Amino acid sequence: MKSYMEPARFVNGWRLLNLGFLTYYWISGEFAAYDFILLLFLILLTSLRWRFNLPAWSVALDAFVCFLYFPYHAVSYYGLALPIFELAQRGKWLFALLFFIGLFVAPFPSAWLFCYFVLALFVGFFSYAYSLNQQQYKEEADEQRKARYELERVKIDLLAAQQSVAQQAELMERYRMARQLHDHLGHDLTGAALALQAHEYVEEPDEAHKLLQEVKRRLKRSTLNLRETVHNATPIAPIGVENLEYVALYFQQVSISFRKSGDLLRVAAYHWGLLEACLKEALTNIARHSDATKAEVKVEAAGSIIRLLVQDNGTVRQSQQPGSGLRSLKMRARSLGGSLSVSGDNGFLLVCVLPLREEE
Amino acid sequence: MTIFYFTLKRSFGSLTNLIFLTLAPIACIFFPAGEAWPALPYGYQYFGIIILFVAIRLTQIIIEDRARGVIKRLSVAPIRYFHYLSQNLFAYFVILILQCAIVIVGGLLRGQELYQPFALFTLYLSFSFTALAIALAWISIFRNKDIAFLVYMSLIFLMVLMGGIMMPLEMFPDLMKRIAVILPTFWFAEGLNWVVYGRQTSNFMLINGVLWLYTLVFLVLGSTRKMQ
Repeated sequence: MKSYMEPARFVNGWRLLNLGFLTYYWISGEFAAYDFILLLFLILLTSLRWRFNLPAWSVALDAFVCFLYFPYHAVSYYGLALPIFELAQRGKWLFALLFFIGLFVAPFPSAWLFCYFVLALFVGFFSYAYSLNQQQYKEEADEQRKARYELERVKIDLLAAQQSVAQQAELMERYRMARQLHDHLGHDLTGAALALQAHEYVEEPDEAHKLLQEVKRRLKRSTLNLRETVHNATPIAPIGVENLEYVALYFQQVSISFRKSGDLLRVAAYHWGLLEACLKEALTNIARHSDATKAEVKVEAAGSIIRLLVQDNGTVRQSQQPGSGLRSLKMRARSLGGSLSVSGDNGFLLVCVLPLREEE
Repeated sequence: MTIFYFTLKRSFGSLTNLIFLTLAPIACIFFPAGEAWPALPYGYQYFGIIILFVAIRLTQIIIEDRARGVIKRLSVAPIRYFHYLSQNLFAYFVILILQCAIVIVGGLLRGQELYQPFALFTLYLSFSFTALAIALAWISIFRNKDIAFLVYMSLIFLMVLMGGIMMPLEMFPDLMKRIAVILPTFWFAEGLNWVVYGRQTSNFMLINGVLWLYTLVFLVLGSTRKMQ
């Protein structure tokens, strides 16, 4: 909200108008020069209200000064509009009604005075409602902002948890495979090796044949165990770069050339999750907003970074702000220490760069 | 009181200021008396104009401070803006009091007809405070001191012309006479008239009271802290 729409400006503007009217009334009337002191007092009290937050009871000073000038000139009756406004704009409009008594003691026809008082009361009440509404909107905006910050923090926490879980899963899998190899394959291979060493010293053919049979049986069992371990460790669904290839391959709207380079085995599982989401988002954007016929997808692992680039040959129809999907991906990339940038200058271009974890 | 002493030094720092603050009041002493109007010698009638100019000249230090970022630096220093402002104003008051004293004492020594010198001194003092407050409120609107000074010169001219210091108010139409009452210069001119013709002390006190009310209003308006 722009500052000139602040309720305080509206209130000060009305105060100024009031004083302007009273001054005009004083100039146009036949009043003595010393009666101008009343206006000076009212101006002083109004300027104090503009500068400081005076309490509501301070309107008694305005009323008292006006009351002192009641016998001398009519400006003092109109001056009561100031305390009426001040009380109404503080929500104490019932007290403001008390000043309407001035209508009954005025020694002149009070129809205009009544209108002036009602106007002051109405404007004061309007300012009060305006301030209340603005306060309420500010509080709501603050709450929403707070909720958004909390949500963003939760998102960052979840992303960090995902990273940690992926790391833990990898370690658990390594441990399971090591245990499997040690418990089954290791024992059998050690037994077979011992049997072969014993075979060198055995002189009887029957005994030597038995030992060879034992070695054969153990090696056969080891081969079986090894096959089972490898089979269990191999995933059925495509993962990592294969999954990205799979997504690009089955995208029907435009023809896609997919290229990969570098040591992609160094890329962690949670990186692949983000890169897959980026690729899908980019391809969806190409399908929805671009008139491209070809697109290029590059996945490169170089040095300590992994980089995904998606570029098409079309023209982007809408050059608007990034949508919630891209915003969310940008935040996820940032939380992993990387970055995601999008450009529509020369076809749609998306580049996601993520830092690779150092080998542990 | 460091700011007070420093402001005094700064006020007399430049040669222009030194000449303006010392020679202008001395020159007033040597102006001749008018024939029919004004009743006081010209120098004493127009001393109000000099007070207005001196006030804006002095308060330019505050606008300079604002432009150079001193106010911004003060906001992080262990000093309140109130202290800064009050000590500055106090220094200006002291200078103006000295000027008023020079004019009155000089006039008495030269044998000028001042009617009621003490009342005249009191009036000059009250008007000095008002002029300072007006200048303070005026510079709070502007960022550039030269623009503030130039526009204020036109304003001073209007105020003294319409207020009855330069010309008798009787020459103006009725509406102008009523508008003149709004201006502080009118009350100063009224005060000068009282010094010459006045009998009731209450009237003189009322005139001074009005000038003090103006001072309060403009002090309240001009005391807002503006960083730039």
